[in-house]
Amino acid sequence: MSLQTTGLVGLAVSHNPHERLRILYSKILTSLQTMPQDAAYRKYTEQLVNERFNHVKSEPDVDKLEKKINCGQIEEVIFQAECELALSRKMSDWKPWEPLIEEPPPNQWKWPI
Amino acid sequence: MASTAATRTAAGAAKVVKPIFSRDLDEAKRRVRELYRAWYREVPNTVATFQLDITTRQGRDKVREMFDKNKHVTDPRVIDMLVIKGKMELQETIHVWKQKTHVMRYFYESEEPRPTDFVSKFYKGHDP
Amino acid sequence: MAASLVRLVRGGLGRSLNISRSSCLLQQQIRAQSSTTESRPTVRPKDGVAHNQLAAFGEYVAEMMPKYVQQVQVTCYNELEVMIHPDGVIPVLTFMRDHTNAQFRNMIDLTAVDIPTRQNRFEIVYNLLSLRFNSRIRVKTYTDELTPVDSAVPVHMAANWYEREVWDMYGVFFANHPDLRRILTDYGFEGHPFRKDFPLSGYVEVRYDDELKRVVAEPVELSQEFRKFDLNTPWEVFPAYREPKEAPPKLEAGDAPPEKK
Repeated sequence: MSLQTTGLVGLAVSHNPHERLRILYSKILTSLQTMPQDAAYRKYTEQLVNERFNHVKSEPDVDKLEKKINCGQIEEVIFQAECELALSRKMSDWKPWEPLIEEPPPNQWKWPI
Repeated sequence: MASTAATRTAAGAAKVVKPIFSRDLDEAKRRVRELYRAWYREVPNTVATFQLDITTRQGRDKVREMFDKNKHVTDPRVIDMLVIKGKMELQETIHVWKQKTHVMRYFYESEEPRPTDFVSKFYKGHDP
Repeated sequence: MAASLVRLVRGGLGRSLNISRSSCLLQQQIRAQSSTTESRPTVRPKDGVAHNQLAAFGEYVAEMMPKYVQQVQVTCYNELEVMIHPDGVIPVLTFMRDHTNAQFRNMIDLTAVDIPTRQNRFEIVYNLLSLRFNSRIRVKTYTDELTPVDSAVPVHMAANWYEREVWDMYGVFFANHPDLRRILTDYGFEGHPFRKDFPLSGYVEVRYDDELKRVVAEPVELSQEFRKFDLNTPWEVFPAYREPKEAPPKLEAGDAPPEKK
């Protein structure tokens, strides 16, 4: 292993990024399964995760994988996946795909007054 | 502050408002009593730590007066807001973040009553 | 400049239709503007690409969270603003922070605006920064004097002191804040100085009293009556925001947008 550090504080080098990403992405996809089919969050996130997941499956080399995903170093990608997983679990509670809770009062967003 | 919001809530009585802490008046009153008790117990300590030139009795009377000042308030949300502010003051007093001057401000020692009749206004020097 | 302030108002019905239509209108506008030569002196060059990108991201957010987002707009200075319902503070901020396409991980600023004529007089404004995508977003919500807003501290640690400041200056209560107390005003200070109904001179003045040997606070007394100046200009202050005389004809779903002249 040639890479010693990511150069970012608090982000250690990952030695098995492919496996880590595979676990995280499949967990995200499972979590997304619980949402309704037409929820925009599910649609877009599935699309995004599947795209990255395919790159992870098809590209064994880490450097090339980073280039293909094009979102920073692989450790950062792992961190993003962790965040996305936490978010998708919270999203199932919040159900943001439901219709608007309440219309704003008239002239609330009118500016200048 | 409270009055405008209170009239607004009265106008839209059917509208459900988000409570701050208390769901009804009884709960709000309970919180007020808790705060009063805490202040009541804190007065001797305050007098001792700040070396105030008042007796505990005077301090407690002042606490009572401050609570009585807002006794006409009936909206639980307004009561909650006042309790929050009262708690904040209590915390500042307990931790001695306040100084003697801040505590003694409640007593208005230096203020002279404003002149009301013509002669005392005349003696005072200017007639605003 | 007014033409570039695009509002994507979200109606109750046919929401997706509205959005797609407004987006194609938007593109048309921008194409029309770039093709005609600008005769006015340009203060700031238009950046159509950034504008389009922001508008597209705004639509993306609105489509993701229709439950909370009330309105999305891109101002004429290319700032994306998302107006949300006060219940959605935590979900929307968490989404902005954790979603891979957003990553607004830094809270730059949190403040409030007081507009006393409105039903909900305070606007709470969150400014976020995404280092990954080098972009900023502004999230706005509203409240009044007695309605608590959920604290953003669980999402952004930086919100802690900002919320204390807003509480101190405006009197907006933040529910579940770990340590909500005054931060700028003096102990024993009453009132919230940034509210529009707080007098410019304040309520009390302090001085050192020689007899009592301490600083005392007394009600402020002005030796001269506070003077009001008529500062209204005869000029129109916001010509760009002039209300249109008659509403433009409403488009039906199938109609093509009218030609721009």
